[in-house]
Amino acid sequence: MPSFLFAAGASTQLEGGFKLGPAIILITILCVFVLVGIIFRAKDTTDFYAAGRSISRVGSGMAIASNWMSAASFLGMAAIMYGSGYHGLAYVVGWTGGYVLLLILMAGQIRKYGKYTAADFIGDRYYSKGLRATGAIIAILISISYCVGQFGGIGLMFKWILGIDYAIAVIIGGSVVLVYTLISGMLGVTKNMQIQYVIIIISFLIPLFILTFKFDYFWLLPQIGYGSVVSDIVSGIPIAETTQMFNALGHEYAMVPAPEFAMPWDSATGQTFFQWMAIAFSLMVGTAGLPHVIQRFYVVPKARDARWSVVWGLFFICILYWSAPVYSAFGKILSANPEVGKLSKDAIVVYTAQLGGINPLIVGLLAAGGVSAAFSTVSGLLVAGASAFSHDLYVKVLYPEASPKKQLLMARVGTVVMAIIVTAIALLKLGLIAQLVAVAFSLAGCTIFPLFLLGIWWSGSNKQGAIAGLIAGGLVSLIAITYFVAGVKGVDLPASAFVAKWLGAWFFAWIGAPLAILVNIVVSLITPETPIEIRKFLVQNVHS
Amino acid sequence: MDSNQNDYHISFFKPTTALAKWNRNLAIKLILIWAVAVFGFQFLLRLIEKPTPENAYVKYEQVWENISTENASIEEMQTFAHTSLSVLGKLIIKPDQKVSLSNALSWVTYQLADSLQKESLFNQTKDLEKIRSEITSISDPVYLEAKNALSNLANSILGLQKTDPRRLIVALSLVSNDMEVFKAENKALVPTIMSTYLIHNQSILTDTKFLGFPFHYFYTAVFLLILFVFLCWLYCYRVDKKNVELDIEE
Repeated sequence: MPSFLFAAGASTQLEGGFKLGPAIILITILCVFVLVGIIFRAKDTTDFYAAGRSISRVGSGMAIASNWMSAASFLGMAAIMYGSGYHGLAYVVGWTGGYVLLLILMAGQIRKYGKYTAADFIGDRYYSKGLRATGAIIAILISISYCVGQFGGIGLMFKWILGIDYAIAVIIGGSVVLVYTLISGMLGVTKNMQIQYVIIIISFLIPLFILTFKFDYFWLLPQIGYGSVVSDIVSGIPIAETTQMFNALGHEYAMVPAPEFAMPWDSATGQTFFQWMAIAFSLMVGTAGLPHVIQRFYVVPKARDARWSVVWGLFFICILYWSAPVYSAFGKILSANPEVGKLSKDAIVVYTAQLGGINPLIVGLLAAGGVSAAFSTVSGLLVAGASAFSHDLYVKVLYPEASPKKQLLMARVGTVVMAIIVTAIALLKLGLIAQLVAVAFSLAGCTIFPLFLLGIWWSGSNKQGAIAGLIAGGLVSLIAITYFVAGVKGVDLPASAFVAKWLGAWFFAWIGAPLAILVNIVVSLITPETPIEIRKFLVQNVHS
Repeated sequence: MDSNQNDYHISFFKPTTALAKWNRNLAIKLILIWAVAVFGFQFLLRLIEKPTPENAYVKYEQVWENISTENASIEEMQTFAHTSLSVLGKLIIKPDQKVSLSNALSWVTYQLADSLQKESLFNQTKDLEKIRSEITSISDPVYLEAKNALSNLANSILGLQKTDPRRLIVALSLVSNDMEVFKAENKALVPTIMSTYLIHNQSILTDTKFLGFPFHYFYTAVFLLILFVFLCWLYCYRVDKKNVELDIEE
């Protein structure tokens, strides 16, 4: 089909080579991160795991937001909406709505329980070393799965800024984030997260004001002003006869009607009503089961602070989530001309700013913001994974006598091993950033979420029930992920169409989470009661 | 021992203290609001939606029978070309479906051209394809000149209005090798392609405008997030107030 081929399409022009301005911005920001990490570095294991419990609730809210606003939020959400329209809003709703569950059902109680890590809680509440070890392994798997998407985002942005190959970009970016996490630990990470939040949100918002102003929409509040952009996409934009507007490539600001961008579960997107609901639900329960999110509640002084930090965190997160769809809407119009060619969806935020003719330095800041978003999350994830490895597996299960120095060393070894594994998987490019991250959410929703939910709210849930529920949730996860990887690798497994439709990798928690809860309840009811000490602790310490 | 053991039970649905009961009721109320607001609204959207065709689809339906039997008038062929362009202009179209529609567009444009235009149309399309495969920038003056020439010719054949955005994609959608024959396999795919891309799920909730947005879009993308923050704030506020009332120090 020669008509669609370009020797060098506009997308290649947008990609370009090495970009000095953006590179300087990125390097400066990274230097600031490392510097702050050094100044506020972890002095001992308590600092490394839980930042000495010295973070204020607004500060913790910012850290929650920064920790949360990953490459999936910064780059991935706009990518999903750019490609699938209204379907992408399932991710927006899922990734914010889950905080309501987290707050009402867990935040304060988790802090009152007073542990360091998710596995700590599981091992203690279900009085089982085996479950503690399993919880730690699941936490590591979730962290790895979550990090893969982030490393992909880091790779894309490093590729864009440095003009280098994706694989090399992933390796360089991964190395930098690893060094930073090793130097700083969580105290540095928490301080950095507050700085990162400011950089992320400023870099994300500035281009939106410019775009809405430049293309003549209500620019004072782009998060509302883009409503008319969405309506324009639906009705189509005629070629203006008088005051013409153009994208950076000289194409008219015009497009044919594209109602599929805004209409629900449109056949053109290939997405269904069921998928919308299943994704939103899975992301919500996943949010309430993510170890690195739960772990944030251990770093605030009191349960009340844990609760209010969720409110602040969610508000800070929503500022970005109200804004991400603006990029997808403008991206849709500015890349409407076929001459623009096929753009990498995961980089559509940056391409939209470029196509909008925004100053290259501001686009560079935007790309650096994308890197910061990925960095802030990856560092939190690596700390959570390393904590699970050193604290929950090494110290609590294997070597209880290990010295604090040895513990810290093992945390750092765990961080390095995880970073290597994540880099290797990220190089495979298994899917879009948001989709890869959604796998981690479903996994958390099927495994950790039921254990926490029942562990806090029902003293009847016992070790046997937890094991059975974990097996049920784990099996659903295993089936869904196996079919996903097999599909990507071109291996045809039996009933693959059925599994893809009902048990997709981004939404298998819709059935996995309720099933794990149900199995946990049934088995708990027919097995010996939870020990009195645990129940007493729940009554006196967690629910008092 | 037994009585002691019975004193220590926690169940969300069977709270044993007044505070626990209060907390349970608050949680249930907020979660109900949350669930109905998120999932209830999507169910409502699903319930009242109707497959609604774009104008382009309505026009396509009027002419397709004659196009498929190759008995169409000039106006009908122009209409068919316009509707094909309405789909070709969508970013979301799949590559294989784009090939089929490009064949349809190229063929119908060629049929509409008079004998003099036919040769120019074919040659200019071929030239543009060649230039496109060689250029390193879409600002290349030779490319721009060839594209504009073909665009002017094709738009005059198709009778597209000056402000019609479909004018912008005609030259890039024509394929020289597809002009003489509308391949049977491509013809067979056209009805499915048209219904896939030109019929949408719409209702009063999608057609009503609010602050410039289609209402359902505003509700999901903007309002729900405000609601989530509000529900979280309300929960914290109520719990704090209760703790002060009961003089509870956490």
